[in-house]
Amino acid sequence: MTAPAAAVRPTLLDRLPRGARAVAWAGILLGLLAFFVALPPITVRSPVVPFLLGLLGIAAGIWALTRGVRRLGWSAIVLSILGIGLGYLATLSGEAKLSGVVVWSALLAAMLRFATPLTFAAIGGMFSERSGVVNIGLEGMMLMGAFFAILAADKLNSWPLGILAAIVAGGLTALIHAFVSIQLRADQIVSGTAINFLALGVTGYFFIDTYGDQGTPGSGIPRIPEVDLGFLGSVPRAGEFLEAVFGHLNLMIWLSFLTLIVAYVVMFKSPIGLRIRSVGEHPRAADTVGISVYLVRYLCVMVSGMLAALGGAYLSIGFLGSFNENMTAGRGFIALAALIFGNWRPLGAFGAALLFGFSSALAQRLPEYSTSGAVLFQALPYVLTLIAVAGVIGRSIPPAAIGRPYVKQ
Amino acid sequence: MSDAPSDSEVPGPRHGGDYAPSVAERLALYQRAGGLVTPLLTTVIAFFIGGVVVAATGHNPISTYKGIFEGTGLNWFFPWVSGTERVVAEFNLQQTLLVTTTLILTGLAVAFAFRCGMFNIGGQGQYTVGAITAVWVGTVWADLPGIPHAIIAIVLAMLAGAVWAGIAGILKATVGAHEVITTIMLNWIAYWIGTYAFGGGGPLQNDANKSVPISSDVDPDARLPVWWGEELLQGLHIGFFVAIAALVVYWFVLSRTTLGYEVRAVGFSPEAARYGGINVARNYFLAMAISGVFAGLGGALDILGWQFRLGSLDIQVSQIGFIGIAVALLGRNTAIGVGFAALLFGALLYGTSTRSLDPDVFPPELAGNLTLMIQALVLLFVGADLIVIYLWSLRRKLRRSRLAEVPA
Amino acid sequence: MPDETPVLEMRGITKRFPGIVANDAIDFDLRKGEVHALLGENGAGKSTLMNILYGLYTPDEGEILIRGERVVMHSPRDAIAQGIGMVHQHFMLIPVMTVAENVVLADEPRTGGVLLDYAEAEKRVGELAQRFKFAIDPHATIQSISVAQQQRVEILKALYREADILILDEPTAVLTPQEATELFDILRALIAEGLSVIFISHKLDEVLQISDRITTLRRGKHVETIPRAGATEESLATAMVGREVLLEVEKKPVEPGEALLRAEHLSVLDDRGLPAVRDVSFEVCAGEIVGIAGVDGNGQTELIDALTGLSRIESGRVFVGEDDCTGKTAREYLDEGVGHIPEDRQRRGLVLDFTLAENLALYAYRQPPVSRFGWLSPGRMVDRARGLLEKYDVRGGSPQTRASALSGGNQQKVVLAREVERDPKVLVAAQPTRGLDVGAIEFVHRRLVEERGEGRAILLVSFELEEILSLSDRILVIYEGRIVGEFPPTVTREELGVAMLGGTREAAA
Repeated sequence: MTAPAAAVRPTLLDRLPRGARAVAWAGILLGLLAFFVALPPITVRSPVVPFLLGLLGIAAGIWALTRGVRRLGWSAIVLSILGIGLGYLATLSGEAKLSGVVVWSALLAAMLRFATPLTFAAIGGMFSERSGVVNIGLEGMMLMGAFFAILAADKLNSWPLGILAAIVAGGLTALIHAFVSIQLRADQIVSGTAINFLALGVTGYFFIDTYGDQGTPGSGIPRIPEVDLGFLGSVPRAGEFLEAVFGHLNLMIWLSFLTLIVAYVVMFKSPIGLRIRSVGEHPRAADTVGISVYLVRYLCVMVSGMLAALGGAYLSIGFLGSFNENMTAGRGFIALAALIFGNWRPLGAFGAALLFGFSSALAQRLPEYSTSGAVLFQALPYVLTLIAVAGVIGRSIPPAAIGRPYVKQ
Repeated sequence: MSDAPSDSEVPGPRHGGDYAPSVAERLALYQRAGGLVTPLLTTVIAFFIGGVVVAATGHNPISTYKGIFEGTGLNWFFPWVSGTERVVAEFNLQQTLLVTTTLILTGLAVAFAFRCGMFNIGGQGQYTVGAITAVWVGTVWADLPGIPHAIIAIVLAMLAGAVWAGIAGILKATVGAHEVITTIMLNWIAYWIGTYAFGGGGPLQNDANKSVPISSDVDPDARLPVWWGEELLQGLHIGFFVAIAALVVYWFVLSRTTLGYEVRAVGFSPEAARYGGINVARNYFLAMAISGVFAGLGGALDILGWQFRLGSLDIQVSQIGFIGIAVALLGRNTAIGVGFAALLFGALLYGTSTRSLDPDVFPPELAGNLTLMIQALVLLFVGADLIVIYLWSLRRKLRRSRLAEVPA
Repeated sequence: MPDETPVLEMRGITKRFPGIVANDAIDFDLRKGEVHALLGENGAGKSTLMNILYGLYTPDEGEILIRGERVVMHSPRDAIAQGIGMVHQHFMLIPVMTVAENVVLADEPRTGGVLLDYAEAEKRVGELAQRFKFAIDPHATIQSISVAQQQRVEILKALYREADILILDEPTAVLTPQEATELFDILRALIAEGLSVIFISHKLDEVLQISDRITTLRRGKHVETIPRAGATEESLATAMVGREVLLEVEKKPVEPGEALLRAEHLSVLDDRGLPAVRDVSFEVCAGEIVGIAGVDGNGQTELIDALTGLSRIESGRVFVGEDDCTGKTAREYLDEGVGHIPEDRQRRGLVLDFTLAENLALYAYRQPPVSRFGWLSPGRMVDRARGLLEKYDVRGGSPQTRASALSGGNQQKVVLAREVERDPKVLVAAQPTRGLDVGAIEFVHRRLVEERGEGRAILLVSFELEEILSLSDRILVIYEGRIVGEFPPTVTREELGVAMLGGTREAAA
């Protein structure tokens, strides 16, 4: 019974999908392929090909479904249907127009730009929610970060100080949320909503008080630099593509990758993560082995504010170089959606952030076809998350004790 | 006594619905701690802190608040206000009450769901789909005769709100998806649908100028009659009475019908209600749908009463549904409370708008943000009412111990 | 022979909660290598005293000495540092995590000082389990192992932290008698390793079986501390409740009538979709009480839920009277004449924040006089409640009082009043006396027997064997979702105990 534990630990090879799961994955890939072949550079012109691939994908999905692989099976079917539809539409479109819209390198670079603020905020949200505190105030914390980053960068003439100011502002905003929802045991959703209002009011007030109607100066504000990886261009064959995607990314994008890795290690490979998760699952159990539930929650909520604020700082002094009222425009909520869609896991949240980022990147280019349609495309992250929590394709399950204030005995 | 486990001791069942606890526990507290003390104290503290911010940024808080107050038109109630001042006050009060009308309804949308133990933060989205529907009926179905036209527009808008909220209700009832998550998502879906509908090439965009993302005007026949003030100057429409009636309906349904009884039972204890034979899922759905009816009605009254058109930008900047949360919580989810809280926030919103606040007293752009801050503080303090209740009970305890010290 | 020097002394411990003195100047000591039982009714203050010792509560007065030294404990962390371990009544385990993760939590082995060394954690936990012969896989998640194994994980947690004082709070409540015996073997092994054990219980036979000394608490006060030698069940019971207890209920023989509740080949799944009730058939006739005996978690809850329309029936049928009620809703069952006294009156029996009038109307609100055509009349609701409160002798509140303000016994009277007043054919009572004081228990028992006299069919589910034995006309034993035996009320506790373990000696019914 108590065989040496190390022997039963799965190796990487064991974790590869087998049987029905593998078939479901194949279905998913076929579905994606159905769309992909119709796009540049392959640009198949006959609708038969995407149809064929998609149908195969659906078949694989159904096969997996009947063998009990629900989540993946449904994913394969839905993606395959989407693949057929989109692939068919692509075959109808003019070839020149298509290659104008679908420039993979530009799309991927744009995807990374859109995904970065979401990644920061979603990972921040993961800390808070894994410790058991709902954080719908991510939007507000992000906005605070965006404003105070540009304010400090402008007044102190230094982008690192701008980032620092964002971290402090986000941390302090989160501290309010933490105090009210942990110490005073207020409803965490009310508190989060209040944080969003507060950030909107505070940033708007001080923005106008400082800059008036003119807005932030168009130039002269120090911005977070790009990391120039020009050498990528010299990589044989793929050089041009690699350079276009990764060659000129903002420092913050690379930082978001680093944050992702650190967050994963901390949450799932370190004692700290074990403690955080135990507090979010069963705070009383954590308390009885001597973990301070309040301290863990305070720290996690503050980390979430700091990370969300980094996402905001990227928006203002990384991406745009300016600030306007309510500039986050719901990105905090998309980050929340990414977190939920990614099942409260760092890689899942990152994947969702990339997906949502990609849809934004695509939406930016779709007006070639239809202006109004492109707008509607923006609703995609929310629709997908709605489907995810509705459990059609496997339900997202939150930490058990989330949202419950902890009362020390 | 001491052996009773507290709520946080037992981790709940692992359903998706446990994203946040049922608000039932807190609801009980809110209802019990009725009275006026907490809401009033909350408001006073919020305004005080707002004043500190004003003072800290080099303005005079007293003249600012005085300016805002005069901008609300509430000085109309003072008998000594006369002459042109009175005319201005009358106009301002009409505008304040226009906003109040909407806030009553978005407040009720939050409050009704709350009484069923759910947190409807989707009032914004439900309001939006109601408004979009009203625009659609009001502009596209132009050949309908006047009164039926308005009524059909209102009814369909209410229905749209009900459907929008009902989606969250059904998901909660069937798969246990938490209404906070679903209503957030639905808010944003409504936001983008609205942006799409009135935006360039959208189905409801006006025909006159395709570069402006705004709808056509609602057919004049379908507009609601104005009963106070000038029709051309945006007087107060009869929708105000509809909102007041909604307050009465809210109270009546909750305390005088079996439906309300079931909703309250589920709100306080879904488990006990289930054991008592009440269909909890049905009540979740119905309560959300009814919430949506209130919010959708709010959207329709705004369109048919004074806005007459809707643009992508209007939808993007609107916060009226979110302010409903503050209205409901400050009003403790009672009909009277919601009425007064709506008046307070309506006054604050209009009193700090560019149209009413004298820029020499205080820049209205700043004042609008001040309003947001005050709302936030109200929410924070209302949410954290434990502290108020704690202080209050401490005070009573002190008084009692002081009494005890008096020799008999 | 236990050493005479105390490893632990608690002197004059007093703890007050609003409106109650949970511990009133209690003295308690523990000698090295002994099992010291702490005996008392629910609410006697046992758990409070132990939570103080474990640093979860701070005492208002009194002092604690460990190995002769005075200590002040602010949190469990301090208690753990003093070598105290506690197995809580509700396990402090995280269901989604593994055994190893649960055991090492907050004291994790690390690699390089930073990362959690999972391999080392599982190795250490595995070794520890082996040393005490616990058959536990460190890699298994808590939710996948049995309750008895979970309890061992709790013990491992204490051992991993090198506790030498182990507190067990009602450890046998969730165990079968056989599992309890195994637990006692474990405790003896721990004593042999030099640990000292505090054993909290309200079960007299167990206390006599395992402990060296016995301390009894009653209503927050220390009654006596005596060695096991010389103690009897009767003397302990008297100390515990303060007077001789008459558990016998006077029952007139009643001729059972027609079958009013009938289950045929009933199978029900639990929350996780696993079979909880398997192919159960029985009937309850008018004028009889059928008791269902069994250890907690053997499908009782699911069975009751199925018989009252609260959960879906996987297969089989349920009849109320002549009507096939399979697949009907909870409300339709109520309409058919099934009364239900749920097992947790605070969460399921009552809407605590409703007034008594509203609670009493939880079924009647849809009928005249309380409502007509969907319109509710609060006035008539209150009038009706006033009559009922008097009729059922509910004390401590008016119709406008919130249910949460009543004592447990009076709350249960409100539930009884509501269910009986509907004149049901069938009454399903689940744990109707759990957590009540002796007076209230007597009231409930008397009332159930009266209702039997009225010709109702009563199904009684209880974990208290005494209750089952004294009330039932027939006893069914449920084990792992199956009815494994049927007995007359003259059956001995031992026979029932064997059957509750799924034993082989099935009585001829």
